[in-house]
Amino acid sequence: MKFTRNWLKQYVDFGEMPDSELAEHLTMLGLEVDSVTPLFEDLAVLKTGTVVICDKHPDADKLHVCSVRIGEDTYQIVCGAPNVRIGLKVVAALPGAVLPGNFKIGKSKIRGVASAGMLCSERELGISNTHDGIMELPEETVDGARFVDVMEMNDTCIEVDLTPNRPDCTAVIGVAREVGSVIGKKVVLPVSGAAITSETKQFDVVIKEPALCPRYTARLIENVKIGPSPWWLRRLLLSVDLRPINNIVDITNFVMLEYGQPLHAFDFDSLADNKIIVRTPTSEEKKFTTLDGSEHILEDDTLMICDAEKPVAIAGVMGGKNSEITENCTRVLLESACFNPVSIRKTARKQKLPTDASYRFERGVDPKGTVNALNRAVELICELAGGGTAADEGIDRFPGQQAPLAIPLSVSHSNTLLGLKLTAEEIVKLLESIEISCTIENDDQINTIIPSFRIDLEREADLIEEIARLYGYDNIPITLPSISMSFPEQDKNRLQRLFISKELTTIGWSEAINYSFIGTSKVTQLGIRESDPRSNPVRLLSPLSEELAVLRTTLLPGLLDNVRRNINFQRPAIKLFELGKVFFPKGEDEQPDENMHLAGILSGNRYGDLVSPLYYKAENVDFYDIRGAVEFVLQALRLPFSSEENGLHFQAPEPGEPFFQEGQTLELCLDKKCLGFIGKIDAEVLRNYSIKNEVFYFDLDYDTLCRVENTDKQFSSLPVYPAVRRDISLVVSVDISAGEILKAVQSNTDKLIEDVEIFDVFTGNRIPQGFKSISLRITYRSATKTLTEKNVEKAHAKVLKMLTDRFGGSLRDA
Amino acid sequence: MENDLKKLKEEAQELLGKITDKVDAEEFRVRFLGRKGRFTQVMRSLGEVATEDRPRFGQLANQIKKEIEEGFEKHIAKLLQPSTSQADRPDLSLPGRIPPRGALHPVTQIMNETCEIFESLGFSVAEGPDVEQDYYNFEALNIPPHHPARDMHDTFYISDSTLLRTHTSPMQARVMEASEPPIRIIAPGKVYRNDSDITHTPMFHQVEGLLVDKGISFADLKGVLTIFTQKMFKKDLPLRFRPSFFPFTEPSAEVDIACVMCGGAGCRVCKKTGWLEILGAGMVDPAVFAKVGYDPKEYSGFAFGLGIERIAMLKYGIDDIRLYYENDQRFLSQFI
Repeated sequence: MKFTRNWLKQYVDFGEMPDSELAEHLTMLGLEVDSVTPLFEDLAVLKTGTVVICDKHPDADKLHVCSVRIGEDTYQIVCGAPNVRIGLKVVAALPGAVLPGNFKIGKSKIRGVASAGMLCSERELGISNTHDGIMELPEETVDGARFVDVMEMNDTCIEVDLTPNRPDCTAVIGVAREVGSVIGKKVVLPVSGAAITSETKQFDVVIKEPALCPRYTARLIENVKIGPSPWWLRRLLLSVDLRPINNIVDITNFVMLEYGQPLHAFDFDSLADNKIIVRTPTSEEKKFTTLDGSEHILEDDTLMICDAEKPVAIAGVMGGKNSEITENCTRVLLESACFNPVSIRKTARKQKLPTDASYRFERGVDPKGTVNALNRAVELICELAGGGTAADEGIDRFPGQQAPLAIPLSVSHSNTLLGLKLTAEEIVKLLESIEISCTIENDDQINTIIPSFRIDLEREADLIEEIARLYGYDNIPITLPSISMSFPEQDKNRLQRLFISKELTTIGWSEAINYSFIGTSKVTQLGIRESDPRSNPVRLLSPLSEELAVLRTTLLPGLLDNVRRNINFQRPAIKLFELGKVFFPKGEDEQPDENMHLAGILSGNRYGDLVSPLYYKAENVDFYDIRGAVEFVLQALRLPFSSEENGLHFQAPEPGEPFFQEGQTLELCLDKKCLGFIGKIDAEVLRNYSIKNEVFYFDLDYDTLCRVENTDKQFSSLPVYPAVRRDISLVVSVDISAGEILKAVQSNTDKLIEDVEIFDVFTGNRIPQGFKSISLRITYRSATKTLTEKNVEKAHAKVLKMLTDRFGGSLRDA
Repeated sequence: MENDLKKLKEEAQELLGKITDKVDAEEFRVRFLGRKGRFTQVMRSLGEVATEDRPRFGQLANQIKKEIEEGFEKHIAKLLQPSTSQADRPDLSLPGRIPPRGALHPVTQIMNETCEIFESLGFSVAEGPDVEQDYYNFEALNIPPHHPARDMHDTFYISDSTLLRTHTSPMQARVMEASEPPIRIIAPGKVYRNDSDITHTPMFHQVEGLLVDKGISFADLKGVLTIFTQKMFKKDLPLRFRPSFFPFTEPSAEVDIACVMCGGAGCRVCKKTGWLEILGAGMVDPAVFAKVGYDPKEYSGFAFGLGIERIAMLKYGIDDIRLYYENDQRFLSQFI
C-alpha cells in the first residue's frame, strides 16, 4: 500500500513530524513501512522560465532559438516544440540536470546554434505521456522558481507492507486513523456530495446472489465529459505509481485508495435495458472479455455483473470490454459494492487476474462504507468531469445488512494474557482511540461495539491484540514463564545424526545440504531402470522448473552436482556427505514415505586441499577409502560388523547399481536385506556431469541402519601373557581374494589364534604372472600361560598347511 | 674377597671410560655383567666365603654390581644419544601437521545452536514430515482454504491435500493433538516455498517453538525470545517486538534485532531502518486451541518460528543465500 505524506495529512494533521518518526509510528502499529522515498527528486533542479525571444532557427524550419529568462539570468535554448512562443511559461532543464530515464542534459550545439539546455514536455518530465509540445505552465507562474514548488510536488511516498488482517488500511483514511490514535487526533473525512435520498427510476439493480453480494450501490451521472484529470489528481496517482488515464477512471482509482472501496464505472449507454443484475453466468455465457482485452473462460460460480442481456463485468475483479468508459461516453453508472471475499479470491486466482479491486475485496471491504465512497466519487465527477448532473438519486440494495458487532471484553483475561495490569479505564482509552466504542460494565467487563470498517475484529482475542498494539509491544514487560520443572525427552534420532555428522567432520568430511527436489531426468541419467521404485518419484504439481520437479529418491544427483561445482572452482579434493531424506510415493493423496539416507562422495586427493603438502602426499582416493568411510560409520554407531553372512557384512551385489563401475561395488547387508552400497561411479554417468576425475560413493539407508541393534560397551580383562606374532607371505592365484584367506584363518578353531591381519598385497616384481602375494600377520596368545616357541610353531604349521591346501599357494619368505 | 671386588670395580670403571662405540659396549657388558661374566663368577665364589661373612660380601658385591650397571647405562645413553647437528634439528617455523578436518554445514550449526539454547530452557525437540497434509499446514493453524493469508505461503502442492510444508508450524498442531499441557517443544526442519530469486531459495530451514501452560503471557514470550536472541547473538543486543499478523497467533509479533552490520545506524542490509527482522511469534490463537481441544480459558501459550538461513547470514555475514545449497567447499570450509 502506497500513499504520500501530504495525502495522509489531508485526513489527520500530524504537523511537522519528521518522515522517520512517522514511519516508526506506523511500523510499531503493525503497518510495517517498507520504504520512505522522496518524490520527483530528479525534477528538483528544474526551474521555471519565461520565453522572452523566440526566433526561427537559421538552418532548420521546425526549430526555434529562444531566450528564456530564469530569474535574473537569461539562457539561449533551441526548442523544437510547435507551441513555443513569446511569453510562454516553461520548465527548463539546464546543463547538469538528469531527467527521468537517465536523460542527461548538457550544453550543445543544434544545427550550429548553441543551446544551454532544454525546454521540457510532460513526457520528458515523466509526469504524463503528452509529448505534442512543451509543458505550458500557468501564466501567473513566476520565473526562476523551482518547478516542483510551483507544481506542489514536494512530497514523500510511503509504502507499507500490509498484513492480510488489515483491510481497513488498504485506504489512506484507514492509515490516517492509525496515525491519529498515536497523536490523539480523530481523522477528518473528506466532504462528500449529496447522499442518496431516493431511489432512481432511471435504472434498476437486482441481486440474484445475495450471499455473494451483500450490498450493491450505484448512481448515474449524466453529461459527463471525459478528459484528463486536473494536475493535483494526476500528481497523487503518479506519486503512488498509478498511471493517470482519464478523469472518470482516475477518480474511481483515487477514491478506492482513499476509502479502500473499489468502484467501477460503466458506460451507461452500453447497458441493455438500463439494468444491473448480479448473478452467476448461464450455460451459454462461457467466455468473457475484460477491458484489458483478455478473454476468460467463466466458471459456473463466477459472480458476474450483468445488464438485462449479458455479463458486463467480472464482479470485484475487472470490468468488461463491452461496457468500458470511452472518450465519447457521457453517461456513467458508478458501482460501489461489497462482494464475498472467498468468491472474489477464487475468481481472481482462477482467471489469473489479481487487481487492486480484487486485492481489497478478497480481504473484505466495509459493507457500510460503499455509500460514502460512492458519494465522494460522484461529488468529484461532478466537479472535475464537466457538469455531471447527478440528482440525489441512486439505488442501494443491501441484503447482507447486519447489526454492529458487540464483543464483551474481560479486563483480567486481557491483563493475564499480555502480562499487564491495566485498569478498565485505561483499556477504554486505548480502544476508543481507534473508534471502538466502549462502556464499562463492571471492573472486569467492558462492552465494546466494533466499527464496521474493522471487519477483522470478531472476537475478544482480536480486541486483546488491539490493546497490546495500542499500548505498545515495547512497553509490555519482559518476564519468564513459571512452569514446573521437567526433564525434556530429547529426540534420540536427531542427536545420533548430529553425532555421526560430527564424527565424519573430524576425519575430513564436510556436510552438504542439497534441495529435496531434483530434475525429472536425473534418475534416468544414473541408468536406473523404470521398474525401480527410484524411477517413480513424488511429483510437485507446479514446480519452479523441470530441474526442481520431483522429490529426490536418491542423494546421488545432488552430490554429483556438488562434485562438478567443486572441480570447476579448483577444489577437486572432494569429501562431502549428506544426511537427508528421500521420498517414495504411497497411496493417492497420501503423504509419501520419507526415509533418511546417509550418503557420501569422494574424489581427488585423499587428504583434501587444505592440509600442508609438506606432510600429506598428493594421493588419490580409491575404493578402500569409501569402504573405510562406511566401516568408520558402523564403528562410530557401534554396529556389529562381521565377515559372516548372518551379521552386518559386505557382499558383491548381483547385479550392482547401474551407476557403479562393474566389479567395483559392494552391498552392505544384514541377513538378506541390503542396507546400503558403495562403489566407484561409472564413467558414463560422470560424463553427464562433465566430471573426468574418479568418484566414489556410498549410500546408507540410515533409518534402517539405526534400527540394527548396536553393541553395548563391555569390558574384557586385559591379557596377562604375551602374544607371539608370525608373518606369512602367500603367493596365490590372482583369482583368490584376500577376504577368503582372511576368513579361512578367522574361522580356524585353534584357540591360540587371537587375531589375523593382512599387511601387504602386491603383484609383479618377482611374483609370477597370474599370481599375487598376500602377507598375513597372525597373533597367537594363550589366556593361561606364556607360549613357548614349540606351542606357536605347532599352531602356525597347521595354519600354513591349511592355507596351502586350500588355496594352493606357495609360501614366500616373509 | 673384598679386594677382588674392589679390583673388579676399579677395572670396570677404567674400561667403562674407554667405551667409544656399540661394539666396545657389548664387549663390556658380556665381560662384566653377562651370564658368564665377572660378577657372576664372583657371586659363585661366594660359597667359598665363611658363612658369617656371606651376607656382608653378598651385599657389597650387589652394591658394586649396581654401581657398575648404572655407570654403564649412563655411559651408553650418552653414546646412543643422536647427534644434534644443525641439520637434524626441527625447523620450528614450519607448520604443524594438522590432520584433515571437515565442517558441518553452517545451517546445521545454527540449527544445533538454536536447539541447544532452547533445550537448556527445558524445551524438547520434535521433528515432523516434510510432506504435510494441507490440514496441518493450514487449516489446523486457522488458515482455511481461500484465506488471503495463504498468499503469504507460495505452496508446492503434491496433491489436493498434501503439500511440502511451508513452515514448521504444523508441528504445533501435531504436538498439541498428541499431548496435554504443559508443552515446551521446538521443531526444526526443512520448509519449502514456491519462490526463487536473489533473496529466496525454494527450500530453507526453520525452527518452530511452542510453549503452552496455565497463565502464560505475552510478557513471557518476550522474555524467552530475548534470552534466545541474546545467546545467539550477543548480550545487550537491542531487540524490538512489533505488531504483525499470523493466522495462528494473536497477538502476533515480529522480532527485530539491531542491525548487526551497521549497529543500528542504517545501512543497505537493514534498508536504512537500523533493524533486522529475525523471527515471527505470538500468543497461540484460541481458534488453534479449539482445533486440538484445549480450553483457551484454561490454557494460554506462545509460538514462534525462526529462519535458520537468516540467522546464519546475520551471524556469519553471509551475503548470498544461494551459497547455502551449492555446497562449494570454499564456502563450507570457512565454518570448520
